[in-house]
Amino acid sequence: MAVFFQSLISGILIGGVYALIGIGLTIIFGVMRIINFAHGDLLMVGMYLTYFLFTLLHIDPFVSIIVTIPLMFLYGAFLQKFFINRVLDALPQNQILLTIGLGLVMSNTVMLAFTSDYRILTTTYSSSSFNVFGLSISTPLLISFAITIVITAILYWFLYRTDTGQAIRATAQDRGAAQLMGINVKRMSIIAFGLGASLAGTAGALIAPTYYIFPQVGSVFTLKAFVITVLGGMGSIVGATLGGVLIGIVESVGGVYIGSGWKDVIVFVVFLLVLLFKPSGLLGTSKD
Amino acid sequence: MRLFMHNMRGMSVFPVLLTVAAAAGLFLLPNFVESTYALHIMILIFISVIMGTGWNILGGYTGQYSVGHAAYFGIGAYTTLILMQYHHIAPWYGAWVGVVVAVAIALVVGSICFRLRGPYFTLASIAVAEIFRATALNLRLTNGAEGILITDIPPFKIGNTVITDFMSKVPFYYMGLVTLIIAIIVTRMVQNSKLGYYFQAIREDQDAAHSLGINPTAYKNAALAISVVFTSLAGSLYALYVGFIDPSTVLALDLSVHIVMICIIGGIGTIWGPAIGAVILVPFSEALRSNMIAQALIDSGLISENSRIGSFLKDQLSHAHVLIYGILLVIVILYMPDGILGFARKLLTKRRKETI
Amino acid sequence: MKRVLALMLVLTVAVMIPAVAMAKTIKIGFINSITGSEAPIGENLTNGVILAIEDLKGKGVDVDMIKEDDMGKPEKSMAALEKLATRDKVVGIVGPYTSATSNADAKMAERYKVPLLIPAASKEEITRQNLKWTYRVSATTGDYGTILLDLATKLGKPKTMAILNENTDFGVSAAKSAEAIAKEKGIKIVFAQAYSKGSPDYRSTLAEVKAANPDLVFMVSYAADAILLMRQSQEIGLSPMAFLGAGAGFSVAQFAAEKEISNGVFSSTQWTKDAPWGDSKAWFQRYQSKFGKAPTYHAACAYESMMIMGQAAAAAGDNREKLREQLHTGKWNGILGEVSFQDYDGYQNQRKAQMLVEQIQDGKFETVWPAQFAVKKPIWPFPGWKK
Repeated sequence: MAVFFQSLISGILIGGVYALIGIGLTIIFGVMRIINFAHGDLLMVGMYLTYFLFTLLHIDPFVSIIVTIPLMFLYGAFLQKFFINRVLDALPQNQILLTIGLGLVMSNTVMLAFTSDYRILTTTYSSSSFNVFGLSISTPLLISFAITIVITAILYWFLYRTDTGQAIRATAQDRGAAQLMGINVKRMSIIAFGLGASLAGTAGALIAPTYYIFPQVGSVFTLKAFVITVLGGMGSIVGATLGGVLIGIVESVGGVYIGSGWKDVIVFVVFLLVLLFKPSGLLGTSKD
Repeated sequence: MRLFMHNMRGMSVFPVLLTVAAAAGLFLLPNFVESTYALHIMILIFISVIMGTGWNILGGYTGQYSVGHAAYFGIGAYTTLILMQYHHIAPWYGAWVGVVVAVAIALVVGSICFRLRGPYFTLASIAVAEIFRATALNLRLTNGAEGILITDIPPFKIGNTVITDFMSKVPFYYMGLVTLIIAIIVTRMVQNSKLGYYFQAIREDQDAAHSLGINPTAYKNAALAISVVFTSLAGSLYALYVGFIDPSTVLALDLSVHIVMICIIGGIGTIWGPAIGAVILVPFSEALRSNMIAQALIDSGLISENSRIGSFLKDQLSHAHVLIYGILLVIVILYMPDGILGFARKLLTKRRKETI
Repeated sequence: MKRVLALMLVLTVAVMIPAVAMAKTIKIGFINSITGSEAPIGENLTNGVILAIEDLKGKGVDVDMIKEDDMGKPEKSMAALEKLATRDKVVGIVGPYTSATSNADAKMAERYKVPLLIPAASKEEITRQNLKWTYRVSATTGDYGTILLDLATKLGKPKTMAILNENTDFGVSAAKSAEAIAKEKGIKIVFAQAYSKGSPDYRSTLAEVKAANPDLVFMVSYAADAILLMRQSQEIGLSPMAFLGAGAGFSVAQFAAEKEISNGVFSSTQWTKDAPWGDSKAWFQRYQSKFGKAPTYHAACAYESMMIMGQAAAAAGDNREKLREQLHTGKWNGILGEVSFQDYDGYQNQRKAQMLVEQIQDGKFETVWPAQFAVKKPIWPFPGWKK
């Protein structure tokens, strides 16, 4: 039983970080209907940013997100403005290939610049934990979970309470109608991709103290992001949050009871089932 | 040109002659080319063309953008090798068993996934391929992560004469070439048939097609089945040729992406698109990988090997080839969204307008 | 556009025509995973080989090394070997890195009758296929487990063991060998699982290991997963008699630097800086000052492989058959000790490697086993986690 609760709690905590990755992807998808294959690579860029802020300027990873978020936003906006905006009306497979190409460029540029060495970011609390009812809880994961909640709340406020946020949501609901209403769709796309990138970057920053960093680290997370996004309902932020936590739990608990090798199979089977029976996702309403 | 372009049923003499001549040339090629390296590249090109042509039926003509075709490539590869290694069934039978298995699985997958559209279908196709990859990684049947290593391919005999013992590359070359030609002929037949029109109707507007009485799921499955036959054969050929398979090489997302890439670079929904894509992409990425550009520059005497640029090119460019590949990919998508064929066609019409 | 097409045409043709240029130096091919997901360790091999080329020059052997990247993919690796063997006409080839690529290349080397010297891939089958042209410097996966369990049974009386390995070719082969050896030594396997690498969370699996309460925890991990596994073991409070790590991830400098979690962990390896062979220490320092980081045993194996290949090729002249004879009968003495290729236990052309066990003590790798090579005494049992 202890094993069960132990895996449940670590699943929930790691799920928080997954949620951030998923939310970023879901915003991009919601607004542009583009599947961003470079999402994991954005996360990787965020990791490297965090790593260098920490090793060169001695800024704590959890504090450095104040720098990472705006930088990644600008980077995402740049990518959108100069690359992705140009294929908004292109065939979907061209959009996919463009993001794959961008991802390759990112990971290989980083490799040339910093070699493909593994980098480990060690903080004083990287492997610290505390006990609650005999269960060990990782301190850095708990902090990152808390930060995830705060960021999600702010995002909500932004999307529901501000004009720009409303415009983004309108674009996500119906691109054509939004355009007719006088919403600058291209600008909204830029903001959306910026947001997506900064969320991916933040996830990278949050995971950096407990994980390791290398140029190809993104691919694992790209696939995970897809699963989370679909699970929650493409375009739904609450959905992505829940989807992230759910995937965290499925991986963690499934790893124990079905075998850690099989857990990927379970995750993807769950993913397919959701796609089939509720293609709009657990909480999604938008149709395509 | 016009004269040849369109006869009654889209058949014309000139292109057919050209194609036959090209095919004949390819058949004779191994007699003239001694470089096995060139043959190796040709075989890789053939495998790519077969995969691409297969994908093109589903992705190009029917508009279902699967990014999970590695699943069927892997099924073909695994079935052939499992039957050969563990049950001593010759690969030329095994490959067909592979086709049957792949098609059967594809139809199950298809009848489930084709309820989804657009990006949802794409994601579902990725998920299916990942399920196969993760399963192959954990099954005893597939020997898990250790993969399957060929010990010996039995010689191919007709009666008592040994046709080939598979020691050289030539048999693989011909297997690839024949499959490729069949794939292209099938594409042509599909394009000019009722089936092909239905496929394209679904691609253009699924709902309209449905209201005209075309059952989208049934026809999408038909397209998938045709597509999978060639993907699976390509997988079998790859497995026999390379002699070793494991989940991360024959069931990987990379591979699915590579298949799509070939078609897009060439031009999707066209008969020759995948072939052109493969002919460009495979040698080009090979030249990049083995740093031939730098070597050529040095050999030509333009840049001295010992100069700073020379040593930079020689040492560093070998690390940068994937980066260059990525940059080119971005450029192609941005400036040639319809692939090389589409781009060439656009140039032609432009010129024609100018001359008029 | 025309220019682009012309360039592509030239490239296509370039692939087809065999290279003409012939130098007077010895041409040796080197295949490695320079890019792709195996690149982090692949880099060690590249660096090791660079040092070997320098040293060979010092010995009067001028090597024209042709470097090929295989991206960790078998078909690319085959293309590389093909090119080296037929177009560049190298006399011998060092590489490739991973087991999967080595398997594919070994067969091809046989076909082209070109000597292939595998530096670091350790899957047992590679040198068990009666191949004439494939030689291997690297130890096999069985060797990794044998030495560790040798140490464990000499120092303590472990009765149970848990095996946790990454789900890759190397991981599975090493785990299988370890399981077999443990059975021989009468140690009961109470937990055995393969995990998919790259996951950020192994806590649930480790909690299960803890519940099985093994005396020994045997882990196989290529990459930085080693750090994650140990960090999370500390979190969970998994504290067995000893942590045993087989190779790769447990013998990189970054791992040792994580004192808090790495102290007391044993790892088996083919080479350490304290290794009593050649100028291991000087070599270690030279590597470190040149590349700014500590070498792994992969680097040492790649270095030694290129040294052997270079010297053998120099003795053989530009003749592959003679080079093979050289490899077959020769003996070399370098930083891996005396190397010769032998047939034993079903292997052919395999180096019988003297494995070493290192233990991390105070953030440093110290060679602790076997006794005649040890520089420090092993700390046994695992002292437990500091709270």
